[in-house]
Amino acid sequence: MSGTSYTLMVEPLGQAIKVAEGQTILDACLRGGIYLPYQCNHGLCSTCKISVIEGEVDLGDASPFALMDFEREEGRALACCARPLSDVTIEADIDVDPDARNCPVLDFEAEVVDIRPLARDIKGIWLDASAIDFEFQAGQYVQLRIPGVQGERAFSLANAPGGDRLELHVRRVPGGKGTEYLHDVLKVGDRLSVSGPYGRFYVRESSSLPMIFIAGGSGLSSPKSMVEDLLARGFEQKITLLHGVRQRQDLYYDDLFRRLAETHANFTYVPVLSDAQPEDRWTGETGFVHEAAVRLFDGMFRGHKAYLCGPPPMIEAGIRALMKGRLFDRDIHTESFLTKADDKAPQRSPLSQRM
Amino acid sequence: MNAMPPLQKQRKLSLKERYAHLTRDLGWETTYQPMDKVFPYVAYEGIKIHDWDAWEDPFRLTMDAYWKYQAEKERKLYAVIESFAQNNGHLNITDARYVNALKLFLTGVSPLEYSAHRGYAHVGRHFVGAGPRIACQMQAIDELRHAQTQIHTMSHYNKFFDGLHDARHMHDRVWYLSVPKSFFEDACTAGPFEFLTAISFSFEYVLTNLLFVPFMSGAAYNGDMATVTFGFSAQSDEARHMTLGLEIIKFMLEQDEGNVPIVQRWIDKWFWRGYRLLSLVSMMMDYMLPKRIMSWAESWEMYFEQAGDALFEDLSRYGIRKPKYHEVAAKEKHRLSHEVWSIFYNYTQAAAFHTWLPSEEEMTWLSAKYPDTFDKYYRPRFKAWSEMAAEGKRFYNQTLPQLCTTCQIPMGFTEPDDPTTICFRSAEYKGERYHFCSDGCKDIFCHEPEKYVQSWLPVHQIYMGNCGGAEVKDVLAWYHLNFGVDNFDYEGSPDQKLWDEWQAQKAANPV
Repeated sequence: MSGTSYTLMVEPLGQAIKVAEGQTILDACLRGGIYLPYQCNHGLCSTCKISVIEGEVDLGDASPFALMDFEREEGRALACCARPLSDVTIEADIDVDPDARNCPVLDFEAEVVDIRPLARDIKGIWLDASAIDFEFQAGQYVQLRIPGVQGERAFSLANAPGGDRLELHVRRVPGGKGTEYLHDVLKVGDRLSVSGPYGRFYVRESSSLPMIFIAGGSGLSSPKSMVEDLLARGFEQKITLLHGVRQRQDLYYDDLFRRLAETHANFTYVPVLSDAQPEDRWTGETGFVHEAAVRLFDGMFRGHKAYLCGPPPMIEAGIRALMKGRLFDRDIHTESFLTKADDKAPQRSPLSQRM
Repeated sequence: MNAMPPLQKQRKLSLKERYAHLTRDLGWETTYQPMDKVFPYVAYEGIKIHDWDAWEDPFRLTMDAYWKYQAEKERKLYAVIESFAQNNGHLNITDARYVNALKLFLTGVSPLEYSAHRGYAHVGRHFVGAGPRIACQMQAIDELRHAQTQIHTMSHYNKFFDGLHDARHMHDRVWYLSVPKSFFEDACTAGPFEFLTAISFSFEYVLTNLLFVPFMSGAAYNGDMATVTFGFSAQSDEARHMTLGLEIIKFMLEQDEGNVPIVQRWIDKWFWRGYRLLSLVSMMMDYMLPKRIMSWAESWEMYFEQAGDALFEDLSRYGIRKPKYHEVAAKEKHRLSHEVWSIFYNYTQAAAFHTWLPSEEEMTWLSAKYPDTFDKYYRPRFKAWSEMAAEGKRFYNQTLPQLCTTCQIPMGFTEPDDPTTICFRSAEYKGERYHFCSDGCKDIFCHEPEKYVQSWLPVHQIYMGNCGGAEVKDVLAWYHLNFGVDNFDYEGSPDQKLWDEWQAQKAANPV
């Protein structure tokens, strides 16, 4: 950023961010980790209407049908076209999420300090982030730039916040350029471009309800971070983690979670195999992970908070099972692991906006 | 790196929290009278609500902001209407035939806005929760404004064209206007939850684009800038109405499992009721607009089939399936408009707008839009009628049609799997036989026969002598229709004569 920049105070969060000269308020907020509702992004729909409490803004190209004259006089503006001309305080129609810490997004280079296989097709990659002041909430993800690969790839952070190392779980996507590079080419000592943290998948502790985590495959990463973080901080409500994989060789961190279950009375760990082999000598839960959840909770999920992380079909099956058990979208939080090949996400209606 | 430490100060209430205080604090447990006496309609439909506070306000608009916002919108709208009048905007429409779409809108739709006003005012009194009460009251005011602004927008045309002089009266009496009228009265006489499912969800959310887009885009395509501006002024309200429709459905489904089958039955019923009502729009789109936007089939695919797929996929998580008989609507989409326009051509002597046969150019468009049906079934019919008219024997249907007891449309629709056979269904109730255009309409009747046996069916009423007399002229006088002026074909009508004179003047005095 060059030239002048202004301070933008966002109410009701009471959070301040910097806005570059010429940058819109909406752009600055989104980049600063503050989500404002918006739709058309060019001054027509009025979804991003805000109040300017202090300071001066240029209203830009807001349509006279979307931003009325009296609203202009009363200091309203459309965030998608308004640009600060001084330090500014705005008030936006945002639900204050008491659990959102709005950690700032940083761009940085990090050195690879360890690579280890975790399961049949999953590798763990550890990055050294000690040089920067990187904060995130358990459950959030980062974007990696991978040499020779167009665009960025998202990976959830699997370590609990607070350490110097960032832990990523990378499943090899057959034919996927990004994950093949990370599995086959990347070595300790390499440096990767990282940006983050992103995402709104973090625990809603303020509701102090028992929590259910349902993970599929390498979707264990976020729940691992969240569970470790909660247990380390002495969270007292019940926590249940279900991890679904195909075979025994796909299961990882099994020992870690068995140990945590032994030492924490409020933590239950349920690994589930959908395709157990005779040589696995498996005596635990089998079938799909959502089916195991239904058995475990006797089909009734009311009064919980649920966190689902994994491939889209698992998420969809999980949501259906939870809703059938009377748990609805305000209490269901999801992180879908899409691969580049999944670009065509199923079309959703405004009914499921919140999830 | 643009982070700054958060300031230590008292956080202000968010708009959501402030709105919640406004709405929730207006509700209280009554003590002078028991709650079930104060809210007598809230339980009998079988919907169970355990926690009214779980209602998520679909929009957060305070009355203060509402007045200011609407006042400015209306100032802008009336400025456009005024300049439209001063500049003789009616001279710039594509063709005077277009005004017939406005006649249908003013007599068929605008009175529904007024009915909606009454309906929302009524249910806005009868919910226990203050959240839905306020949402309904705001919408009641919107609907009243829409009725008024529509009437004002179109009143300019009444100075020049026929058939627009007594829309309110016609709505209560004219045979085909009993279709929209009875639709809304069915909703208004239901309980508060069914009313919202019918109007807010099924109509405003699922089907509204099929009504609104054709009329407003139709106005834009045909040079009617006044009506287009009305459309703009209503658009931001419609967005609110749609979110109310979604919220009520979600609220009922989440509150109690037992609500799911009740809601499903209402969705089935009101999908079919709304779809049958929209058959009037289908003919407007395919036949009445001189410059067309898209075909009925295309708009059904875009606004119901595609958008509806995403919605019902989400609703399936709650245990709700697609509305019953949606597949029949899909089968009918290639013939609906042709069948309805044919009914009006049959009974042009009793309609408050003009009819015509499509021109050769228009039939080319219809063939292209309906490659599987138009040339096979409808072009030959229009050709035959056109030949009869050329011989001076224009075809008029001289007997009154049998009406479907539920939707009240003449029985002109065909079997779902056979476009050449009229679809007849019937059911017996207390020794009387009732007739229906479809399985959808029959199911609705059979579930609540006591309600529908009371239907005011225009044809029956004429035969019973309740509509001004036995002759067409008598009935039309009772409708407040001017015989020989408002009715019959556009060809030869006073509307056409006037329009042609204007065009001749224009040609003689080029600007």
